[in-house]
Order: sequence, then structure tokens, then C-alpha cells
Amino acid sequence: MKLSIAKNDLLRPLNRVIGAVERRNTLPVLGTVLFQLNQGLLELTTTDTEIELKDSVQVDADFDFEWTLPARKLFDILRSLPDDSTVNISLAETKATVQAGRAKFTLSMLSAADFPKTDSVGASTRFDIVQEDLKRLFSRVDFSMAQQDVRYYLNGLLLEIEGDVLAAVSTDGHRLSYAKHQLPAMVAEAKQVIIPNKGVRELIRLMDDPATSAQISLSDQHIQMRSGSLCFTSKLIDGKFPDYRRVMPLDNDRIGTVDRNALLAALNRVQILSNEKFNGVRLQFAGDQLSVQANNPEQEQAEDAVELNYSGEALEIGFNIRYIIDVLKVIQSETVEFKLGDSNASVLVLPPGVDDVKFVVMPIRL
Amino acid sequence: MPIQQLPDHLVNQIAAGEVIERPSSVVKELVENSVDAGATDIRVDIEQGGVKRITVTDNGCGIPADQLTLALTRHATSKISSLDDLQYVASMGFRGEALPSIASVAMLTLTSRAEGADQAFEVHAKHGNLSDIRPAALAAGTRIDVADLFFNVPARRKFMKTERTEFQQIDQMLKRTALAFPHIAVSLRHNGKVSWQLPAANTQSLVQQRLKKLLGDVFVDNAEQISVDTNGLKIEGWLAQPAFSRSQADMQYFFVNGRAVRDKVIQHAVKRAYADVLYHDRHPAFVLSLGIDPAEVDVNVHPAKAEVRFRRSSDVHQFIYGSVHRAVAEFKPGGADVSSPGFMRSTVEQPSSPMQERFDTPPGNHGEQTGSTASSWGRPPLSSQLDLRQVNEAMPALYGGMPSAPLADAPSVATDPEDIARSAPQSHPLGYAVAQLHGVFVLAQNEQGMVIVDMHAAHERITYERLKSQWSEARVISQPLLMPELIHVAESEANAVEQFDQWSPLGFEVDRSGLSSVKVRAVPAVLAKGSIEGLLRDVIADIVELDASDRVEQRIDELLSTMACHGSVRANRKLGIDEMNQLLRDMEHTERSSQCNHGRPTWVQLSMHQLDGLFNRGK
Repeated sequence: MKLSIAKNDLLRPLNRVIGAVERRNTLPVLGTVLFQLNQGLLELTTTDTEIELKDSVQVDADFDFEWTLPARKLFDILRSLPDDSTVNISLAETKATVQAGRAKFTLSMLSAADFPKTDSVGASTRFDIVQEDLKRLFSRVDFSMAQQDVRYYLNGLLLEIEGDVLAAVSTDGHRLSYAKHQLPAMVAEAKQVIIPNKGVRELIRLMDDPATSAQISLSDQHIQMRSGSLCFTSKLIDGKFPDYRRVMPLDNDRIGTVDRNALLAALNRVQILSNEKFNGVRLQFAGDQLSVQANNPEQEQAEDAVELNYSGEALEIGFNIRYIIDVLKVIQSETVEFKLGDSNASVLVLPPGVDDVKFVVMPIRL
Repeated sequence: MPIQQLPDHLVNQIAAGEVIERPSSVVKELVENSVDAGATDIRVDIEQGGVKRITVTDNGCGIPADQLTLALTRHATSKISSLDDLQYVASMGFRGEALPSIASVAMLTLTSRAEGADQAFEVHAKHGNLSDIRPAALAAGTRIDVADLFFNVPARRKFMKTERTEFQQIDQMLKRTALAFPHIAVSLRHNGKVSWQLPAANTQSLVQQRLKKLLGDVFVDNAEQISVDTNGLKIEGWLAQPAFSRSQADMQYFFVNGRAVRDKVIQHAVKRAYADVLYHDRHPAFVLSLGIDPAEVDVNVHPAKAEVRFRRSSDVHQFIYGSVHRAVAEFKPGGADVSSPGFMRSTVEQPSSPMQERFDTPPGNHGEQTGSTASSWGRPPLSSQLDLRQVNEAMPALYGGMPSAPLADAPSVATDPEDIARSAPQSHPLGYAVAQLHGVFVLAQNEQGMVIVDMHAAHERITYERLKSQWSEARVISQPLLMPELIHVAESEANAVEQFDQWSPLGFEVDRSGLSSVKVRAVPAVLAKGSIEGLLRDVIADIVELDASDRVEQRIDELLSTMACHGSVRANRKLGIDEMNQLLRDMEHTERSSQCNHGRPTWVQLSMHQLDGLFNRGK
């Protein structure tokens, strides 16, 4: 059995599905990509049993077959070939030979029957969203997802649908990010699901075609995203996400507005001399100046200040500087608004005048 | 069966079951009586592992003839007379159970000549029946002869180990007593042969000799003295260098007012004090004696008095930890005997004599030493204060008196340019760098010979200590949580959380939120990334046990240790002579610099003598 295909025609779908393949696996078959050839449609599937990625490409072949190949090795081989090369794959019992020009690679194959199949997704909730919007929604909040927290339900992103509002929330227990998007149509059933870290990162990576629409299906166990030939399926985290509405501070009435880029630059400078383990920084809101100050265990100290529009009582408050920088990087607006309570209360950071994205950050007691 | 009062003899046998478990418990009881009687010479004679016969002879104050019978009566003692005395027990025994218990399970002959009496008398007990008092021959003190132990308790006899094992138990027990009371001459004979004898050690060198005999030369060569006295707490003794660590916790001797005890609070404090310099599976070796106001410690909690309870255990913990920690920190290059013989020998740990071989066998279960009690030793009640005073007086003789700053004795140095060495003698025990070997080791020479330094390990320790001192100046910064974390704990733990009022210095904010759950509202900012639940559970366990916790500090130290590891010069980094010399100087000034953060040695000395030996020079 022989198959002939242009290098880029094979590399493109492989590049899209390679993200599911972990570099180290206890189960060898998880390191492979499954090829299913059926009436000229070649479908590539990878999985880590948590998420599954599928893409397909039309090929010129006169047989139907299923086989696996080592995913990373094949990916590296294809990338190293000249762009205009044609790849010939010939399949024998346990070995596959990949040939391009005078280069020849013999790869071992594992039984396609052993490849784990994902159960079908009996979705109850469906909606469409343009890739660009989904990507923006996720990438505004993904930075504050917890990583390997024992509270497993925080190691992911909460996706919430209510009417025509799609909201994404993430928190690691110290800060919380919230973003929402207006859907064009109402969705019949309200739903909350938690997508695991890796699924979120893969989805953001896969949304590379801004204008294309994607269809999202949600069941109790899975989320599936279809867009063109691409199909992404991820298991959901089975847990209860904390009620983010109760975390939002409502009566923070001291409001300070600063230039986002100026503050970001100042914080980046001051950070150099902050304690490298918890990155403490002191922010002082007073009159028309926001001063930032950090020091490290060697007793070295950094200070900077930016212009401030602030009417409240003077306030000094400590933060993990990383938390503020993360927020400032995600916000796109020119200025940014701090809504403050007292120096022990959580702070709301948001672009002025809009409510589709907001961030809550807990201070530290410096 | 109707309820009835048990006969006295049976009561004594039951009591004996608790106190007299095996021959070594008999010896312990008798020897402690001798100590309480103010003896300065105790001879123990054993036949067939103590089963056949145990004889303990002392030169103490003796028992007057008219009290001999009383001495063998239950609950009769001269050591305490009122409840107040019980709260201030300074003698080894106080319950008045030992002699009647022994008498109920063996043939006992008590011979004594009270101080000032012109003749000795003896009384004989068999099966709980006392003979009449008869005149006997004895120069001074008391002799107790116990024959045919357990002759009437076949069950106990069945559980006896071999003669050899039973004798070893006695040997270990007596060894601990000899450590605790250096001013008492002790000798042990087995089957008519002298097993060992120690003269009364009233001078420093005799004390050293006693330690050498009991613990081996290697221990003494590698041990540093400690002596701290503050606020009514006093700790004295010997701490082994970290290089001389043990794979078992077998060389740990702790005495509270002269009484050998095993106590969790103490063990934890010492272990923690050594934590930074020992490999994790290694155990420190030490002999420590805690002097404490007897009112502050309750010894009446364990039938064999192997455990004690401190009234203010967190203070005691803090004191021991602090003292030992400081002492360990001051082990420096150039200190007593870290030099080659120590390092070399510590890995071998050879017993140097047959006798020492016996000593080096791990001591038996401490629980088997049974409570010392005595019935009425005929001496005025006041003298029950005697031995505490003696202990406290003897301790400086045993442990004090040595120069407390061994650094002052630092060997002088031979240097690369020899005139430097002469101009700065005795200041640089690690000598001067000569070269770097394979980018890993620094070779230096000092007066004794050659010093080899593991560059990375040494620099790592220096960086670590610097980080620690920088961080210790600041308090622990707290990171409040956006959402309080609920943690389920046992009810007793929740109680402890509620009562503990030192949360904020630890960086935590924790409330009780239910019968068996607590809410964490803030955590230490440095540790906020790890699993807070695990850390908090450890902290709570500490609080329940010790009423204090150093886990947070410990975790921060671990973090700093990792930082230090990454921030230190690695292998294959070329160092110039100046840099290497600076490293040696930094080592000399850094605490604990003989061990890297993981407990490995950072440097080794090879003396000229050893180097000569490698080439058969001068033979």
C-alpha cells in the first residue's frame, strides 16, 4: 500500500493535531498519530486520553486502511524536508517507509486497533462563535488559571452560557479574571463547564483563522469544537467552580485611573529589585501620583511613579507585582482603572467604561 | 467469684510485673537507689545474665538497722513524705515500690551499715516473708543481693532472652547511669570477671576518658562541648560533628536532672537543630543533660520513668533547639577535630577495643529500664535534695570547663608563600589555594597538609547562609486568599487551631469554621505556590504536639536552599587563585560551612602524615 502526498498537505494537519501528543508517555500508542484513510479522506487523530484532536486532508489513494506512526518523529521529519517535496509513504506489516527525494525513513507502526477512541459526545448545548472572538475571550483570562492545584476544579477555565452571554472565568485563589462575549443568538439552556488547562491552551493555539466560525458543543463530560476539517474534543473537569460573583468587590469606591503602558513600564523596572520569591511591590495612590516601590532581601530598593487621576483618600497597598503585570498585559485599552477598597481588600482592575472584562487581585500584607 | 482484697504478696507480684520486667530492671532500680543514697562508688556483680544473681554494692548513706524491715515494705520510702514533695521530685525514685517488688519475685538479701553505725545488719526476704534482722559484715553503705530472679514467676522466666542478651541490657543500662553521673565510680562484673570499671571522674581529663570508654574515641574526637545556662534551664553535654552521624538513633543520650529519658519534645528539638547539616536519613549523636527545676517537670507519668512531661514544653523545646542550633552553627573549619582523622574515621567507625565493641552495640529498648524506687533508705529526708545538687555540681566537671570557643585553638597555617603564613599564623585554618582540579575541587595547603574543597558544595552553603540571614530579618509576608480554603481536620485539631494565637507571625490566617473544619484566609506569600493544605496540616500537627511550629521556616529554608543551589558556582567554572582564597576565607566565616545544604562534607583534610603514608615515606 502506497500513498503519495505533498509535504505541506500532510504537515498542515499534523501541525494542528500534534499538540495533544505528550513528549513522554507510559502508553506507547499515545505517542503516535492515527491515520485513517477512507475513500480518499485521510484523517489524523491524536490524543492524550484527556483531549483528542482530529484533522483531515484529501489524498489520492485507492485503498482504505488504518495505521499509526510515531507523531513527533514524523512531525520532525516532515519539517526538515524541503517545502516542495512529495512524500511517499509505503505501509508494510509493522513498518512504514517515508520517502522524499533521496531521503528514506523507516518507522515502526503500532496497531491502530489499540488507539484509544473517545466516546461520542452527546451534546445538549450548541452554539456558534467566530474563532477570533473565542480566542480573545480565552486569552484574556487563561493566565490566571491554577496549575496543578489540589483544588482540581481551579486547574482550568470556567465557561458559562446564560442567554446570549458567554463568559470565561479563571482563578488560582489569589486573583480572578473574568471576560464575557455577546453571542449573536440566545442559547436555550444555561450551562457551566470547566475546561482543563491543556484544552484551553490548545484551543487558543488552534484558533488561527480569525474569521472562520466554530461550532461548540457541550455535554456533561465533553466540550467539542468543530471548525472546517478540524475537530477538538476535551474532557471536562468534573467539579464545582467557586461562585465568582461573590468574589467581585462591589463597594470599592476609590477609583484611580492611570496610563496602562506607563504603569506597565514602571512596574517592569521596579520588579528587578523586588523579592524574587513573592515579588512584593507597594503601590501608593495619592493625589495625582501613583508611586510604586519594591525592595529585596539584600535591602536594595527601586522606586518609580506614574501620573494618576485619583480623588479618593490616599492609600498604600501591596501586591505581587506579577499579578498586576499580568493584568496590564491583557487589558488592551489605553488607560486602566483601579477600584480600591482598603489596603486589605481585593482590588478590581478593568479598562474604563466597559464591563466585558474585569480582574480581581488580592493584595499582600507588606 | 466474690470480690475480695488481694493478699499483700500477690499485690507486690502484680506491681513487680510493671516495674521488674527483666534483670536489667532490677539493676536499674538498685543502682538508682544507690545514687539516691549519695554513693560515690557502685559495684554491680552479675551471674548468668542476672538470672542467677545480681549484687549491687554501694558506699552510700546506708539504712539503720531498725528501718531494714520497713525498707522492704510496700510504699515505704525516705525520698518523699508529702504531696508537695511529689511535685518536686529531685531523687531518682519516689514510689517505694522497687524493693518489695523485687523481694516478691526473687530471694533478696539486704545488708546495710548506716552512716555512723558501728555494725552492719542484714535482712533476708524469701517469698515475701522477711527473716529476722541479723548482724552482718559490711564496711559501709548497702549491699543488695538478688538471687534466683523470677523463681516463682515461671511466665516471666519463659520470656527471658539468652544470658548474653540479658547481660547486654544490664550493660547498656549501667552505661547510661555512668554517663549521667560522672562523679560516681561504677564497675560491672559478669560471672566473676570484670567487664569494665570506671573511676570517679572528677577532672576534665577523667571525664573525657570516661566518655571515650563509654562511647568510643571517635565520638569524643568528633564531639563539641555545649554548655548553656539561662532562665533556670541549663543544658550541657557533647554534640557530635555532623560528619559523625549515625544511621540509627542509637547514640543519643538525654538526661533530665540525671534521669535517662526518651522524650518526643527533646528529640524533635535536637533533630530540627541538626536538620540543616545532616543527610535526611542520618541521626545525630549526642550526650545532653538538661538541668531544670524539678517543679517544672513531671516524672510521675511512666512506670519506668522513661518518659517525663514538661510543664512548659514549648519553652523547653525552644531552649534546646536554640542552644543546639547555635552550637551546631559554630562548628567551623578549624574547630576541634573536624580535621582529617574525624572525616576519615567517621566513615569507618571502628571499635578500638573489645570492650568498646560491646559499648558500640545499639542500646536496648529504653522502655525496659524500669523505675527506680526505694524504700526507706535510712537517711534524713532533706538529703533527697542531695543528688540534684550533686548532679548540677558534677555537670560542669563533666561537660563544662573546656574552652567553649574551639576556634581559638585553630591550627596555624602553612601557606603557599610561606612568609604569609608566618605573618598571619592561626588565622586561616583552611590554608591557601594552590590549584583547581578538573574544575570541581579546590586544592589548598595548610600547616597540617592538604585541604581539598568541593567548590560547589562549599559555595552553595555560603550562599545559603547568606540568603538565610537576609531573609530572617524580614517577617513572613502574608498573601490573603481571594476565596478562603476550607480544610477538613480532626476535631481536636480544629480546637488546637482555635487556641493557637501565633498564626500571623507564620503568615497564616486561619479560623475555625465548624466542628471539624478550618478556613484558611491567608497564607505565607513565599509559599503560596505550593500545596497549602499539606503545609497547613503539618503545621497543625506540630501545634497539637508541640504547641509551636517551625514548618513555615523549614519550607522557606528549603526554598532558599534551592535558590542557593542555583545561585552557586557550578563545576567546570574556572576560578583564579584570588577567587579560591576568597572562597576559603568565606568558608571559615560561614556557619555550618563544613557541610553543604544536603549534609555532605564540603572539605577534607589530608595531613602530611597521611600523605607520607601513601608513599611509605619515613618508614
